[in-house]
Amino acid sequence: MMQPPRHESTRMKRSGTLDFGAAARLLDAGPVGQEELRLEHSQALDRFLASVEKRAFRIAQMAVRNADDALDIVQGAMLRLAQSYGHRPAEEWKPLFYRILYNGIRDSQRRSSVRSRIFSLWPGNLRPDEDGPDDPFENISDGAPDPSERLMASEAMQRLERALGALPARQREAFTLRCLEGMDVAETAAAMGCSEGSVKTHYFRALGTLRAQLGDAW
Amino acid sequence: MNEQMTDFEHKARDIFDASVESLDAETRSRLNRARQAAVAGREPARPPAWRSWAPAGAVAAALVAAVLWRFPGTGDSQQVQINGEAPIEIVELAAEGEDFELMIEDPEFYSWVADQAGNGSNGVG
Repeated sequence: MMQPPRHESTRMKRSGTLDFGAAARLLDAGPVGQEELRLEHSQALDRFLASVEKRAFRIAQMAVRNADDALDIVQGAMLRLAQSYGHRPAEEWKPLFYRILYNGIRDSQRRSSVRSRIFSLWPGNLRPDEDGPDDPFENISDGAPDPSERLMASEAMQRLERALGALPARQREAFTLRCLEGMDVAETAAAMGCSEGSVKTHYFRALGTLRAQLGDAW
Repeated sequence: MNEQMTDFEHKARDIFDASVESLDAETRSRLNRARQAAVAGREPARPPAWRSWAPAGAVAAALVAAVLWRFPGTGDSQQVQINGEAPIEIVELAAEGEDFELMIEDPEFYSWVADQAGNGSNGVG
């Protein structure tokens, strides 16, 4: 497993420090140069967010099982990264973004838990928005082709989602970031806010459980 | 992560990638708008947070009203019991401590619950 250069890893672990290089470049540049640098920075941030937004959405959706909540979580994470950490070096954005994302997921899960306890007091234990019959036209096919490979991939994804959902939260995070997102151990540790050793342990256990559960069924 | 990946890990990554690529156009569009808003440093348009809590507020208000109707003028809420369970604790569930942040975010909802409790006490009890 490739490790990032030591100085990179150390730099990512620093918290609460300004990117003095970027700040110095801004100060050195004239007014026009500053504007160009800001524009360049915004474009870099836009490219980064574009590269992670869809994957982040799927990760949040798998965790909270609700598309609207997942979208809110990703929106919040993007805004928080841009507002609070946009000035940090671009190579730090990814672990920071996923750390914010998982904080958002945990907040959403806590709210959902309280909400469901309150809704459990509702007569008949029905959520108010679930009391109507399903729309009979909702599930009718729109006539678009549905290739069998796509169906099989979708079923495999559902099995993976179920198995992931049964894992302890930290194992799920380690597997998602390491395997599905392709982050290295140092990045994953920075995103999860734990040691690299913990990441390896969580990942190893997650992989073992998932292999045992999904195994040949895949 | 690319090197030394097992077949199992490759397969997991591949089907996850496929699920990302199959996101519908509306979701992609909403993500795109959210990203542009974030880069511009502004909050994206979204429904107010209290809206999702309004049904819970209705439950809390109904509980308060039921308690006050069932036990008018008891005076001391600590003594009110239904089936051995203090109903005031049920109401407190709606505003339990771990979600104090929500009280800050949703002041309208909690103020409304308080108003409902006040009105119920005057009108029914």
